[in-house]
Amino acid sequence: MTEESNGNGKRFRILILDDEPIVCKRLKPAFQKQGYEVETFTESASALARLKDTAFDIIITDLKMEGADGMQVLSAAKAVAPETRVIIITGFATLETAKESYRKGAFDFVAKPFKLGDILDCVRKIEQELRGETQ
Amino acid sequence: MLRKFKDVLASWRSKKRVLPFGVHFKKFQSILERNNRILELMADMGDKSGGEYVFDRQYILDTAEQLDDMVFKLISDLSILTQSKNVELFLAFEHIRQAIQEELDGTHAPSGKSYILPLRELGHDLSEQAGGKMSNMGDIRNRLGLSTPDGFVISTRAFYDFMQQNGLLALAREGIEAWDGQDEAALEQLADTIQERIMSAPLPRSLTSQVLAALDDLARAQGIRNIRVALRSSAWGEDGDASFAGQYETVLNVPRGQIMDAYRKVIASTYSYKAWKYRLVKGFHEHEIAMAVGCQLMVESVVGGVLHTYAPHVADGVMVANAVWGLCSPVVDGDAPSDTLVLDRAAPYSLRSLSIADKQRRLVLAPGGGTEWKDIPEGLHLVPSLTLEQLEHLAQAAMSIERYYKRPQDIEWGYDASGALQILQSRPLRFWAAPLNSEPQLEDVTRNAEIVFSGKGVVAQRGVAVGKVFLVDHNTDLTTFPYGAILVSRYTSPRFSRVMHKAQGIITDVGSPTGHMATIAREYRVPTVVNTEVATSLLRSGDEITLDATQNVAYRGSICALDRFTLTEEDVFEDSYEYRLLRRVIKHTSPLNLLDPHAENFKPSACRTYHDITRYIHEKAVEYLIRLSERQEVQHLSAPKRLETKYPLGLMLIDAGEGTTCRPEVRTATPEQIASIPLQEFLKGMECADMWCMDPVSVNLGSFMSSFTRTFPTLLASPDEVGRNLAVVLKHYMNINMRLGYHFNIIDAYISDIINDNYIYFRFLGGVTEFVRRSRRAQFIATVLEHFDFRVEVHGDLVVGRLKKLSCERMSLRMRMLGSLVGYTRQLDARMHTDKDIQEHAEAFITAMKHFLGARYDGREQRKRQAFSNTDS
Repeated sequence: MTEESNGNGKRFRILILDDEPIVCKRLKPAFQKQGYEVETFTESASALARLKDTAFDIIITDLKMEGADGMQVLSAAKAVAPETRVIIITGFATLETAKESYRKGAFDFVAKPFKLGDILDCVRKIEQELRGETQ
Repeated sequence: MLRKFKDVLASWRSKKRVLPFGVHFKKFQSILERNNRILELMADMGDKSGGEYVFDRQYILDTAEQLDDMVFKLISDLSILTQSKNVELFLAFEHIRQAIQEELDGTHAPSGKSYILPLRELGHDLSEQAGGKMSNMGDIRNRLGLSTPDGFVISTRAFYDFMQQNGLLALAREGIEAWDGQDEAALEQLADTIQERIMSAPLPRSLTSQVLAALDDLARAQGIRNIRVALRSSAWGEDGDASFAGQYETVLNVPRGQIMDAYRKVIASTYSYKAWKYRLVKGFHEHEIAMAVGCQLMVESVVGGVLHTYAPHVADGVMVANAVWGLCSPVVDGDAPSDTLVLDRAAPYSLRSLSIADKQRRLVLAPGGGTEWKDIPEGLHLVPSLTLEQLEHLAQAAMSIERYYKRPQDIEWGYDASGALQILQSRPLRFWAAPLNSEPQLEDVTRNAEIVFSGKGVVAQRGVAVGKVFLVDHNTDLTTFPYGAILVSRYTSPRFSRVMHKAQGIITDVGSPTGHMATIAREYRVPTVVNTEVATSLLRSGDEITLDATQNVAYRGSICALDRFTLTEEDVFEDSYEYRLLRRVIKHTSPLNLLDPHAENFKPSACRTYHDITRYIHEKAVEYLIRLSERQEVQHLSAPKRLETKYPLGLMLIDAGEGTTCRPEVRTATPEQIASIPLQEFLKGMECADMWCMDPVSVNLGSFMSSFTRTFPTLLASPDEVGRNLAVVLKHYMNINMRLGYHFNIIDAYISDIINDNYIYFRFLGGVTEFVRRSRRAQFIATVLEHFDFRVEVHGDLVVGRLKKLSCERMSLRMRMLGSLVGYTRQLDARMHTDKDIQEHAEAFITAMKHFLGARYDGREQRKRQAFSNTDS
């Protein structure tokens, strides 16, 4: 935990969406421990509903899911709150999907399996950037 | 006549398609390549099980599918190469593939066929067959090395057969489906009916005889005439995430004649109203129910009780033990007053407070079976039932168990008449309460703590450790390692497995997360960070630290909040379905059983894992290529030549074109006749290493050289051990497959004037020598290869080094170095006495190489400088 990230008090809100519960189970405590507020979802419909009434700083979403997929979640989130940063995590990483997600405004694209530390770093990077902007 | 016969023979022969050697060799190379990819994929699965990675079920499915595919193609390759059907290999493959598929499908019916499972063979891997509680007891006994009463388990298979043959599973399922979910009396009625049916139903035919036989074996082994046992429930999931505490039956002090009735009683308790209700509330499905029954020697404890390793409602950082004279069950059932002891969670587990109860009676074993109350002599009423020594020992054991399960534990224990501590049961303690508001936020605590290091090295096993540093080097007598300490060392060493049950955590300066020590740390679930580079320079013995091996940070001081956060985490990674699934799949892929090609079991039908199959195929492919050239069944190929060297290399050369200057038909070659550039260099290097070994004085390398001639006689592996090794050579190319003793070496190299085509691939897979030395050797090789600019990956025994696109001269020097390395390494086991030797040998070897390669040698530094002016990839 760096000093900057806690500089102005407000906790970062993270939404995690993955249809495999294990991913949520592993990520949630890791982020909580760093002082983030975390909500997890295993169905994109309920995550989308939540996004409508609450703004999140960061969204971490799986790509391939029943119902709305990660790209759709990305678009929907950006439509509601353009400043939301989105990290796409997927086990089906191809250059094409990576390109597409960047084009649609994803902040980062992470292939599963990934190291816990890598995704924490990624979020920290976003946080520093956002804190920097608001200062 | 003779000529005619010969002609006939020749024409008959030519009907069999004679392929050019190049075609065979291409297939052979594709086998090697696939072989490597399979090994790397298996190593990758091992890495993922450490806890640093987030993976999902899809990863396991994908990896298993890739492995299936590659192993299948590997066998097909061999079939094409040797033009044989390899039915046995395909069958072995199919068995393994199916076993993996069953794991993936979660076919929940018990996989094993046996009714009886000895406790000494149990562990969490067998929880499907032995149930939750007893597989935990297996871990505690077999992994953590603590004492538990000896015994066996009557498996879930027995439960299935019993229930099914009496139509009881269907009865329960249909009954619960028909239940409206409201009418409690109806559920109670259903429960009663099933329990009654269980108590009177006939048992499967051989079950009774098998149980009695196991019981008699146990009695014989223990030298007991009138054996008495405790029968304990061990359902799927019991003592796991849902504790089921007190839901199922335990029957104590059962004599031989009553054992099957007691068994029925435990089985029937599966369907008691309260247990059924508990499952329904917890969301268990009817098909998720199976009951194994533990059958353990009855321990007449002198003092017994319960210990909770964590008691935040009492005080921060404490454990609480309750103890009574006699059997421990009055503490569990709460029907007798007990002594209460509050002690530190951290070593040396000092007693903080003691309140002595007035203990007037104790529960003992009744002569006819069951238990009975006995009065306690008055003089003992107010005497503490546990000594401080016993308490400390109990605390040590309890913390080992907690650390292993990553959860506070609720432990039933007893000290028997001989004074030995017996662990009777251990289940997770769960805390639902949110932390108090007055407590500072975790991130504030960690922010204010002094960081010793952060983000250094690699997490080999996740978790949090709070304790005092104990620095260890190769001289340290590990028996002095204190309970609850954090082991800090320069190197990783599998030797540390001896103290893993005592260590809270492990930190090393050097090492790989896929090395042997890391593997063992995972077995013991000790939070471990390796390769930090700085740990031993920043930490001193006695320093109190907190290691967070999930975020990879070490803090100064003990941060109990962090410990608490982890202990109260909702899910333990190691308990997750995906983790267990990955471990189960790995059991079918990675262990190597086919070790010795000369052994009788070196055959397709003995292959039990994918590793076995790849090992077998590699051996056969090498053998085939040698025989192929011997029989001269390929076009334009000279006879295989035995390379004549001073040292027993057992190398058979196949000259596929300008690789030697020998005449095609001769059967031997000398090193002088080698024309293949890579092999020439390789042999020069090898001779050099050999010279050191035999005559240390002639090279001025001082104590380094004498150290190994002292410990090692001049000659080494006998030719028998060496077997037949293969080298296929061309002018600019060589491919060596070498088995020296029990380890394997593959080198594939192309060296010419065209820089972009040049490469060396080096693979080393350790043999079957002692664990410790094997891993030291792998580390040694990796260090040396890295020094010479190879891109190196180490996974346990497997070392892979790759080098590309250097000039012919630089490539040649490195080939020569490899010759020395191989020559040197084949005897290295015996010389790797301590972990310190790794670095010393590496340095000495590199120094020796400088002498040997002379002025033309260019080390890593020089290469780095060159990198600026060179765009080579």
